[in-house]
Amino acid sequence: MSLIIDNVSKSVDGEIHLQDIHLTMQKGSFNTLLGPTLSGKTSLLRLLAGLDKPTSGRIMMGGQDLSSIPVWKRNVSMVYQQFINYPHLDIYENIAFPLRRAGLAKAEIDRKVRATAETLRIDELLRRSPGELSGGQQQRTALARSLVKGADLLLLDEPLINLDYKLREEFHDEFTNIFADNRDTIIIYSSTDPLESLLLGGDILVLDEGRQLQHGPTHDVYRNPRMEAVARVFNDPQMNMINGRVENGRIVLGQGLTLPRSTHMTDLREGKYRFGLRANALGLSRASADDVELEARVELGEINGSETFVHIHHNEVSWVVQEDGVHTHSLGQVIRVYFNPEYLFAFDEKGMLAAAPKYVPGSGTAEE
Amino acid sequence: MLGLYRFLKYSAILLWSAFVAGPFLWALTTSFKTSEGIVSGATYIPWLQYKPSLDGWGVLFRRGGQGIDIVDPYLASLTVTLSASAISLVLGTLAAYGLSRFSYKAGPIKNADITFFFISQRIMPPIVLSIPFFLMLQAFGLLDTKLGLIIVYVALLMPIAVWVMIDFFHNIPVELDETAMLDGCRPVETFFRVILPNCKPGLVVAGLFCLIFGWNDFFFAFMLTFTKTQLLPVAVVALNSSVTPWWSLSASALVSVAPLVILAFVVEKYLSRGNLAGAIK
Amino acid sequence: MLVSRQKLIFLLPGLLVLVAIIIFPLLFTIRVSFSSWDVMYPGLDWIGGKNYSRLFSDSRFWESLQRLAGIAVGTVVIEYLLGFGLALLVWKEVRYKRFFRVLFLVPMMTTPVIMSVIWRTIFHESLGPLNNILGFLGLGQVPWLSTAGMAVVSVMMVEIWQWTPFMFLLLLAGLLSLPKEPFQAAAIDGAGPFRTFFMVTFPLMAPISIGTLIIRLIEASKIMETVYVLTSGGPGTATETSSYYIYIRGLRDFQIGYAASLSVTYLVLMILALTILAKFLVRAFISKDKA
Repeated sequence: MSLIIDNVSKSVDGEIHLQDIHLTMQKGSFNTLLGPTLSGKTSLLRLLAGLDKPTSGRIMMGGQDLSSIPVWKRNVSMVYQQFINYPHLDIYENIAFPLRRAGLAKAEIDRKVRATAETLRIDELLRRSPGELSGGQQQRTALARSLVKGADLLLLDEPLINLDYKLREEFHDEFTNIFADNRDTIIIYSSTDPLESLLLGGDILVLDEGRQLQHGPTHDVYRNPRMEAVARVFNDPQMNMINGRVENGRIVLGQGLTLPRSTHMTDLREGKYRFGLRANALGLSRASADDVELEARVELGEINGSETFVHIHHNEVSWVVQEDGVHTHSLGQVIRVYFNPEYLFAFDEKGMLAAAPKYVPGSGTAEE
Repeated sequence: MLGLYRFLKYSAILLWSAFVAGPFLWALTTSFKTSEGIVSGATYIPWLQYKPSLDGWGVLFRRGGQGIDIVDPYLASLTVTLSASAISLVLGTLAAYGLSRFSYKAGPIKNADITFFFISQRIMPPIVLSIPFFLMLQAFGLLDTKLGLIIVYVALLMPIAVWVMIDFFHNIPVELDETAMLDGCRPVETFFRVILPNCKPGLVVAGLFCLIFGWNDFFFAFMLTFTKTQLLPVAVVALNSSVTPWWSLSASALVSVAPLVILAFVVEKYLSRGNLAGAIK
Repeated sequence: MLVSRQKLIFLLPGLLVLVAIIIFPLLFTIRVSFSSWDVMYPGLDWIGGKNYSRLFSDSRFWESLQRLAGIAVGTVVIEYLLGFGLALLVWKEVRYKRFFRVLFLVPMMTTPVIMSVIWRTIFHESLGPLNNILGFLGLGQVPWLSTAGMAVVSVMMVEIWQWTPFMFLLLLAGLLSLPKEPFQAAAIDGAGPFRTFFMVTFPLMAPISIGTLIIRLIEASKIMETVYVLTSGGPGTATETSSYYIYIRGLRDFQIGYAASLSVTYLVLMILALTILAKFLVRAFISKDKA
């Protein structure tokens, strides 16, 4: 059973929320929906759930147009950002609720509720009420309820956004197990966090301002962003973008940083380009003999979890360097940064990808 | 400084408490007096200032002759108020839920206008409606009946129920309804299985308000009933003549206002809650 | 979708019942106001705007409206000040807080006419406790119900006793739902209780205050039962409110047609006045907020 989103658009009071979304998702697939806030992720999930109707286009499931089927007859689950559970029912009854509505036998309900509760490690809490639980436990309950009924379509709308960093990491580890043996369900997980989508794997749909930018296997999209906008959305901190050109067989970045043309760029025609470099491709020490050295002034040091983002200025261009560990730099200090031209992306004047690096920085080896 | 502040604060609280409780205490002491206890001027302490008697209370439960019989009006008031409040609460809660969750449209009329129509009924002065109500009930043969009053009270009380419940439903996240629908509930099932069980605080407040305005109405009961049906306020006020037997008047007044006052203390925890939807975060 | 049919199940029963009960009386009242229906000739003959031209020169009606405006605005303002003060008193930690909160609500639970009957015995000039206590304090005797000025004061006092609790309830609920952060910020800035009140509490309470004042003004514009029991509009017409005057014309004198025209005029004026008052309140509270 596949889900076909056929040219779907949605506008509310003349404001466009989604425009021409067109893609197919297969049974048993895991899909992330990546995009910044207000990019249309929630709108799309609500359309798929049947909570809203598309302004135009069709949503088909197993060959059937979904628009004629009311929400309560669809086999869809949804987990929200907020922790939504039935306050008047205990955890057991919360999880059993969809099964009871479906008219399952008592013994079967009991078996399924206990199994799902165990998977989500809330089997000790079954007689508590949602109000007595922590945020993480409440969201576990909501997840259990959405998993237990074996829906055709499982929608998760930034389910971890209201949890703290530690709990989020805990969930990420578990998700790999929970979703691992999924065969029958199409799972769609929306996120604003590129790292989260990379961790979860599967396929990705990148959305921006209601438009579908790219759809494909997550790691492919990460390596080959179809256009500059995808690279922007799919990198945190954002990819450094530098205007430049290919001239006389060499690459010129910004005001005149001239580099040799690396192997993946050999096919590029002469002309203007925008060159992209991930923040994690820049380093404060030389990693290989091919590295280019820049002298730059520190504008800002930003500590983000276990990483430091150093904003630097070199020759009229601002760059962001992602540094592992917590470091402090004094503002205005002049430092040396290094990068390997092998990691440069090139986008043409229309913003489409012209060349992508063969390697992903970090391991230093090709990741296949 | 702090001591003075506390002194003033508690003085103010006690002073207002005295103002609030004064009429009740006066009615209580008066209810045990006889005519000698009244005509000699204001007295307060039984045995010391006057000889207490149970006459004022006794006549309330005696029919005919010397009796006043407050039992029948009491039962009539209970029947009318409870029925009208229940109907208003049911219809008002359903309408409030609908208005808070769905959008309705009929020509230029939208949700906001319908909500306003419901709530604006409170602007209507009773006197404006009294004559047509009289004629309407007369036409249907419902004058001087409990059913007639119940119909009139529903129009009076439903706006209150809608007002309280709309506010309450706005505080329940709509995602709760959606989750129920995704779990297989139709809108009507969603309401009864998921929303209604979480409405207790709102229903208590709305119900209490309905009871207050229903139980305490005098004007319509006075206008629309005569002999067959007599509600409590009408029966009590009928005693308010120049030769008022103050003792039985006081006793009947206390008996009349007691149920709601007691109810207020019972549902206390729902009344002073900041967010009426506090049970659902 | 199917929802569109199901959603009507919620709205329609209540809406239809209310429309059925209210619309006929309202339309009927308007129709009757153009008739000369009275005790001698009941019926719906058409006399055009005669009733309306009569009421324009009926000074007793206009006086009753002025009186109503004075009494209603006066009591509501006093109720608001008292109710706000009381809510502030039992908002924070107070001993027996829960008991006092309910005690303060009790008058609202009681039947206005019945309590007015009790108040009438309290106001009794020779046998009532009020003059007795004043005499004991050496303050002399007050003609509570028999002079024009004091009769108005008495009516207002009973109204205030009855309805301050309603103000108190809504304002206390408002206070309890206020966010804590602005108060913490004010405390960090070292603001004293008075500055905190005027800079934080009062502005935050503005929307609730407006709502509460409007609801009470609506209810106060209907004052009639207190007057009926305490003074019967007297002495003379000193306490005669519009509702009571219409009651006398319609149900005592049985000039149904004329009373209907008074009712319609009264209702229209009420809606106009309350709309203007609501706008005025919004401006008064919100501009103070910004200043």
